[in-house]
Amino acid sequence: MATSALTRKRTTLDVLAERLSPARLAVPGFLAAWAFFVILPLLVIVVFSFFQVRSYQIVYEPSLATWQSLVDTGRWTVALRTLRVALTITVIELLLAFPFALWLAKGCRSKTLKAVIITLLTIPFFLDVSSRIIIWRSILGTNGMINTFLMWSGLVDEPISWLLYSEFAVHFGMLGASFPTMVFPIFIIISLIDDDYINASGDLGASPVQTLVYVIVPMALPGILAGIIFTFVPLMAAYVEPQLLGGGFVDLLGNSVDSALQQLRYPMAAALSTVVVVLLGLCLTAFMLLTRNRLDLSTIFSALKR
Amino acid sequence: MSSTALQVGLVDERGITASTRFLRRASGWRVWPNVAKALGFFAIAAIYLPLVWLAVMSFAATPLSGIPYPLTLSNYAQLAADERWRPPLLTSIWMSALVALCCMVIATMVGRAITRMRRPGPVLLLTLLPLFVPGLTMGAALFIFLRIMMGFTLGLWSIFVAQLIWALPFSLLLVLVVASRFDLRLLEAAEDLGASPWRRFWEIELPLLRPGIFGAGIFGFLLSFNELLRSLFVRGVETTMPIYNWAMAASQQSQVPIIFSLATIILLVTLPIMGAFFWFLFVKLDQD
Repeated sequence: MATSALTRKRTTLDVLAERLSPARLAVPGFLAAWAFFVILPLLVIVVFSFFQVRSYQIVYEPSLATWQSLVDTGRWTVALRTLRVALTITVIELLLAFPFALWLAKGCRSKTLKAVIITLLTIPFFLDVSSRIIIWRSILGTNGMINTFLMWSGLVDEPISWLLYSEFAVHFGMLGASFPTMVFPIFIIISLIDDDYINASGDLGASPVQTLVYVIVPMALPGILAGIIFTFVPLMAAYVEPQLLGGGFVDLLGNSVDSALQQLRYPMAAALSTVVVVLLGLCLTAFMLLTRNRLDLSTIFSALKR
Repeated sequence: MSSTALQVGLVDERGITASTRFLRRASGWRVWPNVAKALGFFAIAAIYLPLVWLAVMSFAATPLSGIPYPLTLSNYAQLAADERWRPPLLTSIWMSALVALCCMVIATMVGRAITRMRRPGPVLLLTLLPLFVPGLTMGAALFIFLRIMMGFTLGLWSIFVAQLIWALPFSLLLVLVVASRFDLRLLEAAEDLGASPWRRFWEIELPLLRPGIFGAGIFGFLLSFNELLRSLFVRGVETTMPIYNWAMAASQQSQVPIIFSLATIILLVTLPIMGAFFWFLFVKLDQD
């Protein structure tokens, strides 16, 4: 009796001391700071779109004026155009990435080749974006690489001018940069599929394509969705590509946010960004609802070891 | 009898007979692996051919034309004579070193905590959220929140915050990859043998986590060093290397040759580091 009372007393003290120790406070402290710098700005930007700026002062009264003018001035078409461009690239990337990810996860037998490809796909995250995009000017321009070649080979008589400073150029600039974000999630999820399922499907008489459609694709769905989110959402806020390759002809959400900020029209910039934030929120919610109970942390990390 | 045998199959074939014939025929095509490879290598070429072209054109007399001829070193000479890119480069190096250090410490701390949590989902989602937020949106949001709403003077500190927000999730992922292989029973064994908490961390956990922590540092440095969109909006009056490149690329055509040379040099420094790191990650760690 006495000993149990003693231990209980010590544990309460212990727990109190442990809770207040710096080591215990570090992680919650970090999470609070993180929420302050990451979550709060994203919430603020949504709320801010309902305020107004009058004579350089922010008026903290809820109003729909910004959203009203977004509709009246026809600026909302920018959102539609961005949506079209982003969806186009996302679909192209999915078509390019899914077969490749499948091959990389299940078809590629050489470990070295796999490592080299993963390295090649990771490096683009670490490169300076403006020099990477502006080089397309020298490739697509009227006296750029492609036109010089076409003229030299006699395929065309005069340079093709729509290659650069057009939506085509913007699409092309986005193509390379968005590929890894689509491949990686799909690759990881397909690596996780146990080969036994695939073999069992074959043993039961399914053809390879049937196995693909009825076994692999359903099991890879979380990865496909994650790839779409990772590719689609950043494309909705693309800025460098339209700015450097659009030549002022391709106005996307990113440019509009920037020019609204330059003109000190903060609520407008906030409203245009809100479109992206809300889209992101919807995508993440849908993702979590669809993949609930299907994914857990340890399985994802075990995939990376293979 | 045959119909029951069909039902045993993975898919009820009766419902899909219309499409079955096509699927079976498509399965017969042996080209699929090659198609997949071709698609992937096309996309990888779309990433790397411009980089090769960038390096080639940095030696061309007229870098924005289509012909890398005549070849010249004049762009590099111009770069060496120019002084303006040096302060941004120095700022970037110091800033990235600091971000890398913070990434190592925080990623280790949070990564260890996450592997010990019963339900790590919410914490993980919160920390990884910046991965999903586009750079421009995060930059605009930080600017409106910190400058317009809170009224802070922006500068190096806000660039630091913006870059940390971008780099930390990647670093955390790397630490988690290593930490999730870590057998927590090792620590229990050490505790039973009487090791103090600090000693358990320093002599057992840290050496095992070291590849992940170093990786976090390298990732943190490189991500921060090349971060543009978030820093661009919260820069105040400061300039980092990517911001300098951006300003030159976006406004002054005459400065483009210098950027090409500078980007080529930075590429030549970055690529071997990345290569060595990945060799270590895939080859060296696999052997252990």
